[in-house]
Amino acid sequence: MNAPDRYELFLLGDGEAKVTVQPETRVPNAAVFTFAKEDHTLANLLRAKLVKLPHVLFAAYQVPHPLFATFKLRVQTDGEKSPKDVVLQACGDLIQELQMLDQEFTKEWELKKIAGEGMMG
Amino acid sequence: MDYDVGYGLDGDDTGPKIVIRETTDKSINFVLSNTTLSLANAVRRVMLAEIPTIAIDLVEIETNTSVLADEFLAHRLGLVPLSTRDVDSMVYSRDCNCDEFCDNCTVMLRLHAVNRSSNQNVKVFAKDLFAETVSGMPLRRDGPAITTGDSLPPRGEPVITDENGNGALICQLRKGQELRLRCIARKGIAKEHAKWAPTAAIGFEYDPHNKLRHTTLWSEGDDSAAEWPESRNKDWSRPPVEGEPFDYTAEPRKFFINLEGTGVMPPDQILHNGIKTLQQKLAFIVQNLRGTSDPSQPNGMDESANMGGGFSPTDGIMNGNGTAYGGNSAYAPDPGYQTPAYGGAGGVGSVYGGGLGAATPYGQPRGY
Repeated sequence: MNAPDRYELFLLGDGEAKVTVQPETRVPNAAVFTFAKEDHTLANLLRAKLVKLPHVLFAAYQVPHPLFATFKLRVQTDGEKSPKDVVLQACGDLIQELQMLDQEFTKEWELKKIAGEGMMG
Repeated sequence: MDYDVGYGLDGDDTGPKIVIRETTDKSINFVLSNTTLSLANAVRRVMLAEIPTIAIDLVEIETNTSVLADEFLAHRLGLVPLSTRDVDSMVYSRDCNCDEFCDNCTVMLRLHAVNRSSNQNVKVFAKDLFAETVSGMPLRRDGPAITTGDSLPPRGEPVITDENGNGALICQLRKGQELRLRCIARKGIAKEHAKWAPTAAIGFEYDPHNKLRHTTLWSEGDDSAAEWPESRNKDWSRPPVEGEPFDYTAEPRKFFINLEGTGVMPPDQILHNGIKTLQQKLAFIVQNLRGTSDPSQPNGMDESANMGGGFSPTDGIMNGNGTAYGGNSAYAPDPGYQTPAYGGAGGVGSVYGGGLGAATPYGQPRGY
């Protein structure tokens, strides 16, 4: 009865920011990114990409509460790049990798289709 | 480090690899390799929960003298699979600028069934739902040709795949019972309600020999291998060598995916849409993050971001892809399709260009 509306899982509230950045004061070159209306899909994807990027010393994420669609991503770098830059790079790399996946699939799918038609004809 | 998205290694090693093993009109079974578990899993999760489709969302009941309660019927109607042909040009009703509903955000479906005189029950099937425009006109069969979706009925019409051509059974009517209603079908995603899911199930397996020890195979006796059935993917992966030491740096590289659709969208389209949705998600993050300042940096470094609110260098960031949830241009399946972000950099060329010097979005070659 008092369950939150399902759309709150993916629709940003009024004036709500998608990403907010908070510096980590105790450690140099570290920041916590809070993503609104996102879940493990994006969190784990970004985290896994970040830990493999150069200049990244630490990357991990946390979902503070399972009922709220938000996650926190903590990133620390070696100082040559800012945490924000590496997150942006991770996003960019992932978009490209997904693009390659899409094209690879299109290629294989078309080949499969041609092969299938060849069998019939 | 075996980080081999493959730039600068050998040309064949670039990017994810796919081997399609089996296809039907509703499913694809393929092997994905040369990627990370996180990417494969993200694509899987997006295909399950975040691809826009169409389903009945509101039901206006004029007459219901059947044995089923109104809300019971409404629920059953919601689960009827409706064709997603051309959903990309459809708008979410919350984003639409019409008052209640219009043809941009809604498909109407009418149902009228009576059992006037028969002593046998009249069965009401999904095929008895008649899709129409808001003004009551029949639907046009148009929209861009989708790769294999040509057999798909017009947008919003029930998808019927059983051999009798009936579709799902909605209700049965005894003598004298009547059903007359109007359904309002809308665009949505499965995160809101599972009726919007384009997938029935996604089989996802990696490491069939459990070499990575990501799972513990429980067994009654001492030999778990004797008690557990063999995976059909076992032949696709190198079996462990007897006495081989455990490789704790190994990562899963090969994913056995069986993508099963509901028939609402052809399976290849589900994968394409899943990738696209994920790219839009990432592009939206880039767009938003560019606009924020980075407080971890000393003052001044981020001036540009503070002023003018914005992502000036990348104005074209959402090129041709609309907002994360907004209306989208028609989908073109082949290379013409652009990356949501980075319209120019990288792009198609780098993908098939042998992988040498493929520029990152930021123009620097990567050192790994």
